[in-house]
Amino acid sequence: MIAAPRLRGLLLMAPAGAFVALAFLLPLAILLSGSFQAEDGQLGVQRYVQFFADPLNREVFLRTLRIGFLVTLASVILGYVAALAIVDLDPGSRGRVIGLVTLPIMISPVARTYAWIVLLGRTGLVNSVAHEFGFTDAPLRLLYTEPAVFLGLLQLLLPLIILPLVSALENVPRDAVPAARMLGAGWWTIFVRILLPLSREGLGVGGVLVFTGAITAYITPAMLGGAKVLMLETLLYQRVNVTDDIATATVITALLVAMSVVAKALLNRIARGRPLGRGRAR
Amino acid sequence: MIAKLRRIATLVFGVLAVAYLSYVFFHEPGEDAGADRLVISVFGVSQESFRKHLYNPFEAECGCKLVIETGNSSERLSKLAARKTNPEVDLAVFADFDALSAARRGLTDPIDVAKLGNYDRLYEFARDPIGGRMAVGYTVYAAGIVYRTDKVRIESWNDLWQPVLKDRMVLPTLTSSGGPMMLHMVESALGGNDPAFRGALAKVAANKESVVTFYERSAHLVQLFQQGEAWAAVTGRYNLPLLQRLDLPIAWATPQEGDAGGRNVMVLIRGSRRRALALRLMDKWLSTPVQTALALDLTDSPANREVVLPPATASLLTYGPAMIQRMKFVPPAQVLDHRAAWTAAWNETIAR
Amino acid sequence: MTMRPWAIAALVAVLLFLLGPFLIIVGAGLSAGETLTFPPEGLSLRWVWAVLQVDTLRHAFAISFSLAVLSTLGALALGIPAAYALERLDPPGAGAIRALVTAPLVVPGIVVGLALLRYFVIPLGIGIRPALLMSHTALLVPYTVRVVAASLRNLRVDIEEAAILLGASPLTAFVSVVMPNIRNGIVAAFILSFITSFNQVPVSLFLAGPGVSTLPIEMLARIDFTYDPSIAALSALLALLSIAIVFVAERLLGLSRYV
Repeated sequence: MIAAPRLRGLLLMAPAGAFVALAFLLPLAILLSGSFQAEDGQLGVQRYVQFFADPLNREVFLRTLRIGFLVTLASVILGYVAALAIVDLDPGSRGRVIGLVTLPIMISPVARTYAWIVLLGRTGLVNSVAHEFGFTDAPLRLLYTEPAVFLGLLQLLLPLIILPLVSALENVPRDAVPAARMLGAGWWTIFVRILLPLSREGLGVGGVLVFTGAITAYITPAMLGGAKVLMLETLLYQRVNVTDDIATATVITALLVAMSVVAKALLNRIARGRPLGRGRAR
Repeated sequence: MIAKLRRIATLVFGVLAVAYLSYVFFHEPGEDAGADRLVISVFGVSQESFRKHLYNPFEAECGCKLVIETGNSSERLSKLAARKTNPEVDLAVFADFDALSAARRGLTDPIDVAKLGNYDRLYEFARDPIGGRMAVGYTVYAAGIVYRTDKVRIESWNDLWQPVLKDRMVLPTLTSSGGPMMLHMVESALGGNDPAFRGALAKVAANKESVVTFYERSAHLVQLFQQGEAWAAVTGRYNLPLLQRLDLPIAWATPQEGDAGGRNVMVLIRGSRRRALALRLMDKWLSTPVQTALALDLTDSPANREVVLPPATASLLTYGPAMIQRMKFVPPAQVLDHRAAWTAAWNETIAR
Repeated sequence: MTMRPWAIAALVAVLLFLLGPFLIIVGAGLSAGETLTFPPEGLSLRWVWAVLQVDTLRHAFAISFSLAVLSTLGALALGIPAAYALERLDPPGAGAIRALVTAPLVVPGIVVGLALLRYFVIPLGIGIRPALLMSHTALLVPYTVRVVAASLRNLRVDIEEAAILLGASPLTAFVSVVMPNIRNGIVAAFILSFITSFNQVPVSLFLAGPGVSTLPIEMLARIDFTYDPSIAALSALLALLSIAIVFVAERLLGLSRYV
């Protein structure tokens, strides 16, 4: 027998669960199952073999992983730099700065990415400044390159790690850092021994958001990468809507979902403070 | 008491607001007037001009309401295919090879051209572009080379590969409608006539490092010229007016091999219930006044032979016997039959 | 604690990186020139004015706005009871449901759009508008559940229990005791969901159809064939709208706590 409140709880959850299951999970499951079905209807991984046999697909897959990893790494570094500075501020200006960090999340990604097109062109601001200061002899091609996509994604996703890191670091006892300083600990020791362990959860949450955001973003690679710098999302869109190739699309779908889930599991483990590669302590 | 009134007022206001927003969201234009609706699927470009010269006059004439879907050719085609059993669209316009693809997939019906009063005014290339009376052309464009006259000279399609254009050349990607046309001309400039474009694909692959980007839509072309990224590009002539608005010496090349020709065509969607109305719009679109007005706006080059244009407009469009005769159309069937092989070769050697 | 100047300098640099592009787009949108450039060629409101005259954009704005409000309300209607159940009632299968309702967060939008179009909308013969509304609602449920659950967690259980002990039914207790106390959470969930739906691109890309297009999709399409500053001007307008919302929300309830 289930107790009455628990039963009531089940009833209250049911609509949301049923709706998401029907209007989201079921169609997705059907699409994913298609990736394990070969053209002749047999079950197997044949489609994956075909997918990875194509050198373009391999390259796009690796590029997606690479960009996802680099964007996550850069956001973690910049995120800590910003978050540590933010928690050092007095409460009033801290609120204002957090507001400024939140702001870009609310602005349409289309608008935000559009700015990079203006910035990165050969006669754009970046090239003019670089030329002015003598860094470059001739304007560089920046648009439609991997660095352009990297920059666009970094700017898009950085706030998503700053905010959880700030929440996590705010919980670090106020006197922990000065105490460690007095005991002669260096900057790096303080970070690794005190700040990092205490902000692991924020790191995990933010890291997942940034990595999955980077590998699943559509607008940024579409606008800044174009056809020369395809990522899995833009390749998927092209396969579906330009070449009408659903088979490849289902494989990409499965890869993207798998990558998100694996990243989530890995970073959750980091967040719980367990070293990678060892079993659960429970 | 006052608090209660206020709560009731807030509630009433909220309910009204939601009701109004539901109306805005679910309301189909023209629904309440009881008017007929005709759903058309077209390219997104220059909708203001179409609205003025075609949609508004047509709606006034037929007492009906046009519902317009916009997007590029292949995207709209795959949406159409997905909704095959229950089509939303009555009339669609596509690039000629996408129209043939639609016809082969059984998405279209033949056009009863006897019902088109303006049919006899069309150029030959527009009358039955994909065979079986499955489509009628409504506009044509040359696909050729635009270039910075202060930086390079272009007299042949082979001039694209000159060293000065390294990192300054922009080409259409294979999956855009410009892709096959470019390969067609590169192939013939190399002296070949392989329908699989092997020579042209190898040529582009050998020069891929020189290419700034393979653009997907005519999208960023103007920006690429404006920002100094591009000195030469393969593009449809419809981009010329926009390019010439930049303060740059940009010209349309007349390579000795000629230009490629592109056609956009109209098709009737199978299963549509508003056939008569669709044919009426089709005829209106092909009429001399509408074709002239669209040409004067530099929206579309005419497919109607009776359109007369002033020289200033004509020089920016695909217009006049000299221009028309230069164009070489890629047979739509060739595109469909070889596209898979082109894509494989392209992915293998160029897109990486 | 001592303010380290280098930390502040780094923070300013990060903020500049985050907000600089936005300032550029505002500048480019206020240009008086014909083409998209920064620095702008003189200042004017002509492109802001021009973009407001475009019918398709106005229509797309109406669709996007109403879609965002309606799907947010739908997601709240589904999400608030679910969040309450998850936090307070310990229902059987809570873990599974929790995973289920947060799943839309990790699945790429393009994939969701494709799956819904092929295996939900078309087989069931759902119209374009209901399809957009249902898909956006499904996408927003995780946000409403998460944010509302977070604010429930901060609310002490005993107030509610006291109300029930004093004879209130669980429903009355919820409406008169719990709801007012999690109002901020609900408003935050509303704003977050609204903005998520309003800015959504990939799912709508697949599900939009004749006569129904959302604002970001129309913007993306226009970027493909307009080279003038009009889209920059529109971006600037939308950004200012977002700023206004965020500013008010941050003032009132500290929105960033819930992101």
